[in-house]
Amino acid sequence: MEYWKDETEPIKAFLKLFESTREDKELSTGLKKVNQLIWFDYTEDGPNCSYYWDCRDGKLEAGAGKPAEKPDLIMSLSADNAHRSWSNKLNPVMAITRRKIRVKGSATGLLRLAPKLKKVAVHYEKVLKELGWEDKILK
Amino acid sequence: MNGSTGNVIDVDLTERSVTVASPPEDWYLRYIGGSGLAARLFWEMGHFDTDPFSPEAALIFMDGPFAGLKLSGTSRMSVGGRSPLTGNWGDSSCGGYFGPELRYAGYDGIVLRGRTEAPSLLLIEDDRIEIVDAASCWGKGIEEVNSGLKERFGKNHRTLVIGPAGENMVRYALILSEGHHAFGRAGFGAVMGSKNLKAIVVKSSKQRMKVADPKRYEKLRKELNTRIKENLTNSVLRESGTAANLEGAMFAGDVPIRNFTSNFSEEMGEALSGATLTEKFLTRRWTCMYCTVGCKRIVAVPEGPFAIPEGPGPEYETIAAFGALLGSQDLAAACKAGRICNDLGLDTISAGGTIAWAMEAFEKGHLTLKDTGGVKLLWGDMETVIDKVLPAIARREGILGELLSLGSVAAAERTGKGSMDYTCHSKGLEAPMHDPRGGGHGMALTYAVSPRGACHVADPMLHMEMGACYYPEIGIEYEPDPMTDAHKPEAAVRSVELGGIENSACFCEFADREVSIPEWVELFNAVAGYGWDVEDMMRAGRRVFYLKRLINYRYGRTSRDDTLTPRMLEPARDGEPKGIEINFSGMKERFYELMDMDPEKGIPREATLREYGMEEEARKVW
Repeated sequence: MEYWKDETEPIKAFLKLFESTREDKELSTGLKKVNQLIWFDYTEDGPNCSYYWDCRDGKLEAGAGKPAEKPDLIMSLSADNAHRSWSNKLNPVMAITRRKIRVKGSATGLLRLAPKLKKVAVHYEKVLKELGWEDKILK
Repeated sequence: MNGSTGNVIDVDLTERSVTVASPPEDWYLRYIGGSGLAARLFWEMGHFDTDPFSPEAALIFMDGPFAGLKLSGTSRMSVGGRSPLTGNWGDSSCGGYFGPELRYAGYDGIVLRGRTEAPSLLLIEDDRIEIVDAASCWGKGIEEVNSGLKERFGKNHRTLVIGPAGENMVRYALILSEGHHAFGRAGFGAVMGSKNLKAIVVKSSKQRMKVADPKRYEKLRKELNTRIKENLTNSVLRESGTAANLEGAMFAGDVPIRNFTSNFSEEMGEALSGATLTEKFLTRRWTCMYCTVGCKRIVAVPEGPFAIPEGPGPEYETIAAFGALLGSQDLAAACKAGRICNDLGLDTISAGGTIAWAMEAFEKGHLTLKDTGGVKLLWGDMETVIDKVLPAIARREGILGELLSLGSVAAAERTGKGSMDYTCHSKGLEAPMHDPRGGGHGMALTYAVSPRGACHVADPMLHMEMGACYYPEIGIEYEPDPMTDAHKPEAAVRSVELGGIENSACFCEFADREVSIPEWVELFNAVAGYGWDVEDMMRAGRRVFYLKRLINYRYGRTSRDDTLTPRMLEPARDGEPKGIEINFSGMKERFYELMDMDPEKGIPREATLREYGMEEEARKVW
């Protein structure tokens, strides 16, 4: 991995990012519209390198690992590309076309969140600073 | 022949004679089929001083070699001829069921010439081809006529029908297939109307389709159908229709608002999105023949001023043209406007574009109540658009109906007062609902050089800049940044070649995104037996582009016509692309160099034409 020391680091950052976006009124509204259980699968970088969002029926929860229930959508990619993606440095359409992101399930909900990636990136930068990981911030 | 049949129906409506012609086999190899072969047939006829509405004008419907295959995305067909809207070469593509049925009946296409004395329709049932009386259909809307034809001939007879707009020769009248699928652009419904031809009906008694290498084809068919179905974009299209990404496109600045004066409205993005359409009005999904994508919508608006019963629903272009472009975020109104346009037989892109221009003209005082016959043209007033403006245009009623039936460019010419500056078109064809300032600067270039005018489906540049295309085999390995000119002329060269292939093979742009370049070649070879390699195929695509340029040159079009309007080239006023300049002239100059086109004439140099095996064509222009 180019940006992470081990498989725990990205999950720590992404879960904290979820917490941060949940506090943002506009983004939390966007997250609720996703209305899906999504598993972000980075296991190509380690067996425990994954986490999930549960945005179904007004819930806004996240947790490390694979969800207990069957996800509506699985997004498989490397932890480095996830870092680029949350930093708004990875065009999701191009990444999918070039198989850098593999998707299984309905992506319609996520599509509604895609326009907000720019705003998510602002939160991500703040989160990385809070974790003392300024060196990971992509310019 | 394989894939294609080699048979083209040639109808002289004046003489009421029908023959079946066989174009040289070499033309299929060099121009593929669809709009490419239509252009070659048109070139051969040589009617370059013929008015599109004169009886001598030819209208050519043409299948590609894949029509009739049980492969997703291959049921489309093309129509081509001289556009009454632009005066240039025009072509338009339509999905549905008609193209395969025509192939099964034993034909690749139909050439129409002449004019019947009384309203008629053309009936094709295998070898039986007749010109039949259709006086009772004249003056009626497409929905009623389509249903009537199904009752009269049978529900599995496939139809192409024009509406009152076509009969009245509105310059952007469409031809609708099965009451749902449109040959929308360039006004060929008006050409059919000028010939007194209300409809074409086809039925085959069996599903005949001959392919060169059935085993190779079958293997490829299975692989591609699975991948096309599972492709993420296609699954999103299936779920939410072609407006699935309208919200995302709005954030990118791709969706034009109020006649291209704004590029961003979050509220409109949400109100008009495919997800909203699904939640509020979708009743069923629909599809073209054998397609697993299923991007078509069936909708109903149960109540309110824009209530409509269950029937064909709007695609992205219609939603944006009768939504954001007119300053409206009323999705029900867009559904109803689309339904009305279908029934009257109007292209929703040109209708929306022309009305948007008129609304701005009214706002600026360039059109007054005197010019509009007392109709106030106000942004977002969809009741007026639906109840007054669209019917007036289709019937060319009153001063406003007559003016707007000409399209935005001719209407602006007639109006003057600087109103041409805020038309949004290239070569007279109103721009589709993708604003190059936000959607991608490469699209500004391809809109401008497209032979038929501003068009997002003439070539795949829209998809390239979005990131949905990846063709390393032909050098497209870079990740194009939509908001710059970097790599765009180079990408445009490949894009117009691919567009030539796509629109001549009549392969749907959504389905064929999943087909790699080697697979395209494999498909041509397995189905049509062309024996091509990648280079042969790309050359055929470019040859099609060159030929259409030559036709336009014979209509007097030169490099000066390869441009966009001041409105489309001014920096965007808001949203993501705010303030960004498009390096249009730089891109165009480089594109011309790469395509070896004469910078004045706008056509390929003589030596290049010869290199592409177009000696005969070169002699006519050099």
